Amino acid sequence: MEEYVISLEGIKGLLENLTREGFNIYAPSKNNDRFVKVKDIDEVALFPDRRPTDISAKECLFPKCEPVFYYKREKNNVEIVDIDPNGNKVLFGLKPCDAASFTIIHKVFNWDYKDKFYNKRFDNSLIIGLACTYLDDYCFCTSVGLSPVSTVGSDILLVRLSDVSFGVIVITDKGGQLVKRYPQLFEKGEPTKSKQVLDSIGGPARKFDHKKVKEWLDNNFETDFFNSIGDICVGCGQCTFVCPTCHCFDIVDEDYLYSEGRRMKNWDGCQFYLFTLHASGHNPRDTQYKRYRQRVNHKFKYYVDRFQEVLCTGCGRCSRGCPVSIDIGDIVSRISKLS
Amino acid sequence: MADIISIAKSIFENQKAEMIIGYAKATKEGRTRPVVVRTLDEVKELVLNSFCLNNLSTYLTRKENKGKRVAIVAKGCDIKAIVQLIAENQIRRENVYVVGVKCSGVRRGFEGHDSTKIAEKCITCNVKTPHLFDELVEMKGEELPGTDEKAESIVKLEQMTANERFAYWEEQFERCIKCYACRQICPLCYCERCIADKSMPRWIETSPTKRGNFAWNIVRAFHLSGRCIGCNECERVCPAGIPLSLINRKMAKVAKSEFGYESGMDPNAPTLIGTYDVKDKEDFIR
Amino acid sequence: MSDSKFEPKIMAFVCNWCTYTGADLAGTSRMKYQSNVRMIRVPCTGRIDPMFIIKAFESGADGVLVSGCHPGDCHYTAGNFHARRRWILFRQLLKFVGIDDDRVFFSWVSASEGKKWVDVINEITDTVRTKGPFVNYQNLNKEFTLNG
Repeated sequence: MEEYVISLEGIKGLLENLTREGFNIYAPSKNNDRFVKVKDIDEVALFPDRRPTDISAKECLFPKCEPVFYYKREKNNVEIVDIDPNGNKVLFGLKPCDAASFTIIHKVFNWDYKDKFYNKRFDNSLIIGLACTYLDDYCFCTSVGLSPVSTVGSDILLVRLSDVSFGVIVITDKGGQLVKRYPQLFEKGEPTKSKQVLDSIGGPARKFDHKKVKEWLDNNFETDFFNSIGDICVGCGQCTFVCPTCHCFDIVDEDYLYSEGRRMKNWDGCQFYLFTLHASGHNPRDTQYKRYRQRVNHKFKYYVDRFQEVLCTGCGRCSRGCPVSIDIGDIVSRISKLS
Repeated sequence: MADIISIAKSIFENQKAEMIIGYAKATKEGRTRPVVVRTLDEVKELVLNSFCLNNLSTYLTRKENKGKRVAIVAKGCDIKAIVQLIAENQIRRENVYVVGVKCSGVRRGFEGHDSTKIAEKCITCNVKTPHLFDELVEMKGEELPGTDEKAESIVKLEQMTANERFAYWEEQFERCIKCYACRQICPLCYCERCIADKSMPRWIETSPTKRGNFAWNIVRAFHLSGRCIGCNECERVCPAGIPLSLINRKMAKVAKSEFGYESGMDPNAPTLIGTYDVKDKEDFIR
Repeated sequence: MSDSKFEPKIMAFVCNWCTYTGADLAGTSRMKYQSNVRMIRVPCTGRIDPMFIIKAFESGADGVLVSGCHPGDCHYTAGNFHARRRWILFRQLLKFVGIDDDRVFFSWVSASEGKKWVDVINEITDTVRTKGPFVNYQNLNKEFTLNG
């Protein structure tokens, strides 16, 4: 992997140049709640020690709601206007747990049906990661095969060497081309220094073996284990909405004045009663513990069965924000000790 | 006064209830989680401190808990919800064993979310010593600082022009992501099928876009008018940070000024919307 | 559109027993009033869910009228008393979110008050006409079509 050094000024210059190229820059907002479109590049700050944004970066490529097409009806004629999700994006300052999520959900959006909306956005975007020095009790990236310095998913990864200088690790061709386009901003790298920095970043304290989790889930579908969680989970679904890897959506047609309207694609979540409700009135997941069991199984068993990868990056958002303090890291580590 | 664990023990020993809904330590310091305790062995999990923010009465109306004798640890504000549920015939007084908490105020949020300040609802609280209980327990806690900024915001909004108010709420509601966490956590949102989930006809769009967001938030607020007891759980859980308490408290203010009614105080009083008075004012009707 | 005069769309939810019959009387008596009102007949004002009012605005109404029997005259004894209590709360809620008194109107019009119906409609139509289209609410609809 090639390595370079860039100054803080250089980063700003790079973002300015990219804006001129027609890219929209997305970075964590001031109050750290989500990734927003940057209006003033001077306001972009790099905080490797800030906790992950409340809502993950997935909404930049897979928005909470988007029109699939618009329609217009006139007697027997229906006119349909397709949507082209164009626009180039730079996702800037993603923690490795956010960057890795795109590699993971990329698989599901390219498995059976190729999702044109997601893919087009993904192809037109550049992901600039930032090695993370934040740690709290909810993080568990190292237990799902990642780490605070993981390069998975990023096109280039920034490593903070000092207040004003950052190491640049080039990971993909897209990242390589970026460096080639603006050689004046990048200096020769200092692999030993950045390696030192990377080595000094420790992993989260919470550790479990996700293979053991799967082993137990393989053999324990009917179980009492989730009952106590079902008792208290209110089914608000915030865990699925803040999760960088949850990717379920629902499609609805919405009329405006009965003659025109739109078909919308909206986020949905397995924690909702309506998610599995059949038209007949039957609901296979009729109680909350079944819905929670589904979430854990999907992340640590079903996805692994199909894609050999855990559907979780260990960012801990679901647990940090849970209104009733359900901690998935704790639940999964307990499961790993059961088998 | 006995502590929470010995109270819980005696509830099971004297068979006063088959389960206790209470608070337990979460995996991290600085927060608690709700817990349902069913055996004597589990009783040791129970805790009581200023991090006990959740309003546990939301679990009382669950299908699984209907008809069971349930003991619940409840602060004064939570007891208001229980009273309201009794008044609305959703639970029976004899089925719920209330362990009332003599409360010194809880925090605004869990760690990282204003956890050093006192919750706004505690500043104006009038039920620090509960008004309905079977047994009392004391919550010991330090005095927390904090001011009631929302009261000022309500007055400020009232003084704006209609256009300014519309613009304010349009901006707030635009952030709504339609997760309905506000509904899920609300102890008084117990409808088996919410109007937001009805699709024939579709009253409120599922898409989290402006029009549907506006409709949802107005309907939610109206369905709670004269019922909301101000536990403020909806605002606490809102992932989009919409100041729902402004609208809830405004409606409570209207109920008080128009009808002299305060929800959640008397289990035997008729509910505000469920009844009428021939002398209700009608100066706005042509 | 710009040079034609603004004509408000007014949605009226009226009860079957009093106001609808009152409007009928206005018609059979050949009284003239402004034609901006679209009426929806419901069994009783107690049947009017506040959601109807929201839905009317969503569908492009510039003003909404809710009208029923005078207190004490309800065909179902107390429907309008219940409705009145709801309106007291709902009206304040609408005000608080920025939908003022000059968009939502309430009236009692009995079966014999054809003249009052005419006056009410003329009065509120003029009020809404002066106020102009309800741009605020109609803007919420913009996302439903490609170019707003």
